[in-house]
Amino acid sequence: MTDSAKPRQPVKGLKSDQISGLVLAALAVYVWWLNQEFPVGTLADPGPGYVPLLLAIGLGAIGLMIAVFGGRSELLSAIPWPEAKRAAIILAACMVAGLALEYLGYRLTIFGFLVFFIGVVERKPPLAVAMVSAGFSLLSFYVIGVLLHVPLPVGAWGF
Amino acid sequence: MLETFNSLMLGFSVAFQPEVLMYAFAGCIIGTLVGMMPGLGPLAGISLLLPATFGLNPIIAIVLLAGVYYGAMYGGSTTSILMRIPGEAASVMTCVDGYAMTQNGRAGPALAIAAIGSFFAGTVGVIGLMLLAPTLASFALRFGPPEYTALLMMGLFVLAYMSGGSMTKTLAMAVLGLLFGMIGIDAMSGYTRFSFGIIELGDGIGIVPVAVGLFGVSEILLTAGQQDTPRVQNPTLRQLIPSKEEFRLSVGPIMRGSLLGFMIGIIPGSAHIISSFVSYGIERRMSNHPERFGRGAIEGVAGPESANNAAATGAFVPMLALGIPTSPVTAVMIAAIMIHGISPGPMLIQEQPELFWGFVASMYVGNVVLLILNLPMVGLFVNLLRIPYAYMYPCILAFCILGVYSVSNSLVDVWIMLGMGGVGYGLRKFGFDLAPVALGLVLGPMLELSLRQSLAMSGGDYGIFLERPIAVTMFALGLLLLALALKPMIFKSKDWRSKVGLEDPSD
Repeated sequence: MTDSAKPRQPVKGLKSDQISGLVLAALAVYVWWLNQEFPVGTLADPGPGYVPLLLAIGLGAIGLMIAVFGGRSELLSAIPWPEAKRAAIILAACMVAGLALEYLGYRLTIFGFLVFFIGVVERKPPLAVAMVSAGFSLLSFYVIGVLLHVPLPVGAWGF
Repeated sequence: MLETFNSLMLGFSVAFQPEVLMYAFAGCIIGTLVGMMPGLGPLAGISLLLPATFGLNPIIAIVLLAGVYYGAMYGGSTTSILMRIPGEAASVMTCVDGYAMTQNGRAGPALAIAAIGSFFAGTVGVIGLMLLAPTLASFALRFGPPEYTALLMMGLFVLAYMSGGSMTKTLAMAVLGLLFGMIGIDAMSGYTRFSFGIIELGDGIGIVPVAVGLFGVSEILLTAGQQDTPRVQNPTLRQLIPSKEEFRLSVGPIMRGSLLGFMIGIIPGSAHIISSFVSYGIERRMSNHPERFGRGAIEGVAGPESANNAAATGAFVPMLALGIPTSPVTAVMIAAIMIHGISPGPMLIQEQPELFWGFVASMYVGNVVLLILNLPMVGLFVNLLRIPYAYMYPCILAFCILGVYSVSNSLVDVWIMLGMGGVGYGLRKFGFDLAPVALGLVLGPMLELSLRQSLAMSGGDYGIFLERPIAVTMFALGLLLLALALKPMIFKSKDWRSKVGLEDPSD
């Protein structure tokens, strides 16, 4: 018996669409719960909660459809996440930069942000790190802040 | 016709002003560079440039942003052909035969045909915009709240039908976007909804942080860590000239792609992406030698490139004539115009003729600029591709933070962008299309207002949508498309996606 002639064994485990559909349905329930705070009104005079309620019902229904018809999607465990760790580092570094922006100012924050990524995460040579980080932060401030008159944050030290 | 001609002359008198010309030129160059950089598509590029337009007059602002948009369409094709890296999603199909031509030593003709096709399609698109938008705007003056509700609902159904992936996933994303649009103060009652006590959310979530997060940050999260800097070919001017046979084979696909792209561009969704897929599928089916596709068929470059450029222009028709964005890019452009106190919609052409016709004329100019600029300067532009990604992505991220923060000097916008980046990353991992989220966010408040006004007009009777001919026609069309979209799911049959090589919706 060839491989193709063998009966196919059903692969067990949760499928990606089943999970994503259920997450959407759960989100719909959460929106419905939050929306209870707002009056739905009447059909002749719909209140602020009317359309969000319709949308929550719609999202819940579609989420369940995705979950129900999701049996043919790939296994959840088959989705590769090789970049997930780096993605988490990127998001965390962006959050720190966001927090620092108004305290340190644009130039210092972006300088530190680039030094972290190019120097620490990507491990590039120190001279290149310093040149790219300083060059980018100063030049972008000059072009966007000075030439294009976009107000950029300046920190306590004048940077 | 004479009136259109006179209006166009007015437009050219605006477009040929040195300042407008300079900004159109700058927009085209920035757009080309943006289109070439992975992680910075036209949407992120326009969003990031938005704060820089605050101090400009509205005509210059829209000319600059439109230049970035169609410049990015051109730029995206260069990386697709030379490196098999689509700078933006609409160039994915160009990668297939464009890169195969590069491997066959025909990178120059591929680039030239892409540029000529884009120029022709861009010009066809502008003529279509010029002729169709004023007619559509006059017609839209008859629209009341029920017609707008029907139009927006039809738009969502069309979006679901024409989406590149699963219909249910597209609808789910559109509803999610509509829910994001509910955040903030309700215009009719004054209630602040879903703001969690954050004052800045009273005005709702802005399109810029959402767009940059979903499309820019999520792309970086997916691609960061790649180490290779690919080898780049740099064709000379002489090598750009296509052979007679290549030119002959490209004429039909360019014409078909231009018309198809413009028509698809008018309808909602990621039109420029879908149009390139559909065009590729059509050219492959029409070819006497379909086996050449994937191995360097020039029709596989000419068709999709023309289609995505025509679609980019077609998207401006509903934006300018109806005030309704059909893509995230036009949503950001509407925001750019509204910042200057101008509302796009049926009255725009009458109230702001200089803006509308100046914009149309500037697109003619922009297309010529791009054709002249791109071919001789392709060698210069490809140098950008030699920058290692390890240096490039942190700079793109810094631009994202900078651009989003400077729209309203708000850190909350930066948090929204990062949140959307994480959400977008997760959704893309699970195969969801993100464009409907951005579109839903903008359409949400419009849809809610028109629906509630319609119900108030009718005393709560949904029958109002059946009593008005325009509304009932649009609803019928929308429901027909919804039924067509549901058919392959229920009967496990093939639909248009499978025929053009996109995902099977029943999966």
